[in-house]
Amino acid sequence: MEPVIQTKDLTKKFHGFCAVDRLSLSIGRGEIFGFLGLNGAGKTTTIRLLLSMITPTSGHCYLLGQRVDAGKLDIWRDVGYIVETPHAYPELTVRENLEIMGQLRGDIGRGAVDNIISKLKLGDQACKKARHLSMGNAQRLGLAKALIHQPKILILDEPTNGLDPAGIVEVRHLLQDLSKNYRVTILMSSHKLDEISQVSTQIGIIHHGQLIKEMRTKELDKHLHKSLLIDSRNRKAARSVLSQTIFQGHIKTTEAGVLEIEHAKAVEHPEAIASLLCNAGHPPTLLKIKRENLEMYFMRIIQEGEKMPNA
Amino acid sequence: MRKVISCVYVEAKKLLRSRIPLMAFLSLTLLPFMAGFFMFILKDPSRAHRLGFLSTKAQLAGTADWPSYLGLLAQAISLGGLMVFGFVMTWIFGREYTQGTIKDLLALPLSRQRIVGAKFIATTILCMLLSLSILTLSLIIGWFLQLPDLSLATVQRGVLLFLFCSSLTILLSTPVAFIASASGGYLAPLGFVLLTLILAQVAAAIGYGGFFPWSIPALIAGLAGKEQAMPTGANLVIVLGTGVLGVIGTALWWRYADHC
Repeated sequence: MEPVIQTKDLTKKFHGFCAVDRLSLSIGRGEIFGFLGLNGAGKTTTIRLLLSMITPTSGHCYLLGQRVDAGKLDIWRDVGYIVETPHAYPELTVRENLEIMGQLRGDIGRGAVDNIISKLKLGDQACKKARHLSMGNAQRLGLAKALIHQPKILILDEPTNGLDPAGIVEVRHLLQDLSKNYRVTILMSSHKLDEISQVSTQIGIIHHGQLIKEMRTKELDKHLHKSLLIDSRNRKAARSVLSQTIFQGHIKTTEAGVLEIEHAKAVEHPEAIASLLCNAGHPPTLLKIKRENLEMYFMRIIQEGEKMPNA
Repeated sequence: MRKVISCVYVEAKKLLRSRIPLMAFLSLTLLPFMAGFFMFILKDPSRAHRLGFLSTKAQLAGTADWPSYLGLLAQAISLGGLMVFGFVMTWIFGREYTQGTIKDLLALPLSRQRIVGAKFIATTILCMLLSLSILTLSLIIGWFLQLPDLSLATVQRGVLLFLFCSSLTILLSTPVAFIASASGGYLAPLGFVLLTLILAQVAAAIGYGGFFPWSIPALIAGLAGKEQAMPTGANLVIVLGTGVLGVIGTALWWRYADHC
C-alpha cells in the first residue's frame, strides 16, 4: 500500500544547526501517527517541511504519493493542518473566519461552514469575534479551519493544546472517527505520550531531529519495562533463595528495601516465584508486577537517544 | 480569474473589517485641511494676523488661488501618501506575520503569488479610493474658501496631477510589502517608510531627487519649482521599476523563503 505521508532522509539545517536529521517515516492510509518529542525536538520543523512552509536542506517529503512543493497546488486540496498555536483574524467572527478559509480553499460545498461549526460545537461562538475567544475555543476554530474542506490528510501540531479535559476527549473521538470511518490519515504531534497513545495507531519518537523509535501503538505495552516486586519477612533469605535461580544478576533492592527482579520470566510467572519462596520457607508478603509508566518510558527512550552516536 | 476575485474579496473583507481604512482616511484628511488653512492665510494675511492664525512676524510667500491650492495638494499627497500608503501596506502584509495568520495562507490550493497579488490589488484599490475621497474633500474645501482662478481646465489639470502623483506614490509603497514580509512584522517597514520620507527630502534638496524614486512624485508635483515638475521618461522608469521590483520581490519571498 502506498504511503499517504512519507519523508525520505529529510534534513533541515538552520545556520549549521540541524533541526531535522535524515528523518524517514511512512504513514499509511487511515493511520493516526503520533509524533512525539520534547520541545525543540524537531516536530514542528518536520510539520513545516511537510507543508512546504520551509524548504528541506536535503531529502524529500511526499503527500499522497506526490513530492511536496509549494507550487504543487493540487496536493493542498486534500490537506488540512494546524501549525503551532492556531491563529485567526481577530476582527472577524468565527463564522467569517471559516467563510474566508472556505473561500480560499474553494469548492468546499454548501453548508460546509455550518457543518463544521456544529461538528466542533462552535455554535455559541459563531458570531463572536475571534479576538474574544478563549484559548480552547480558538483551538476549536483552528481545528474547524483544518477540517472545513474534509481533507484526506490532517497534519496537526499539538491539536489539544489549551483544550479542557472534555474538549480533549471530544477531539480524540473526532480524530478516531475521521480515521476509522473516513480513512483520513492523521499526523499529530505532541509531547505527551499518554495523549498520543490513546488516539494514535502508530507512534514515532523524535529527538534532536532524529526518529529514534517507531512502533505500532498496540505494541507499546511490549516496550514498557516490567519487573516483579517481592517482599518477605526475611528479605535476606528470600534474596539468597532467588539468587540460586536463573534470576541471579537480575535482582535489585529498591529504596524501600523491597526486592525487584527485572526478568521476563519473573514477570510472566510470578506464581512460580511464590511457590519457590513458599517451599523455601520464606513465603512472599508482597508480589506485584511493576510497569513502567508512559512518562518514564518516554524519558528512557529519550535518554537512550542521547547516548546514540549520531544523536 | 474566479480565484483572483475570490482572493481579492477575502483581502477586501479583512481590510474593511479593520480600522485601517478609517485611520488612513483620518490621517489623509489633514492634507486638504492644512492646504486649505494655508490658502485661507494667504488669501488675506492681515485677517490671519488679526485672528491670531499667523504671528505678527511671520511672512508667507505664495498666492491663494486654485492652481496653487491644487499644486500644494499634489505635493502633500506625494509626501503624506508615502507615509499613509506605506502604513496601509505595512499592515496588510505585516499583520499576517505578527498575528500568525500567514501559516493559514501557505498550504492552500491557491498559489502564494495569487494571494500576494490579491493583497496588492486590495491595497491599491483602497489607496486609490482614499486618494479620491481626499481629492473630493479638497475640492469642497477649495470651493468653501472661494479661491480665485477657478476654471474647468485648472481643476482638470490639478485633479490629474493629484491622481498621477497619488498613483506614483502608491506604486512606490510596494517595497514596503517586501520589507514587511522579509522582516515578518511592522517595525522594519515603518522604519523603511520614515527613512524613504527623510531621504526623499534630502535627495530633492541636494538636487538628486530625480534619481531617487521616493522624491520623484513630489518633484513632479512642483515641490522644487516648475522647471523640475515635468516628469522625464527616466523618472517614470525609476518609479515604475521600483514598484515592479517591490511586487516581484514580495511574490518571490512568499514563494521561496522559509516561513518560520
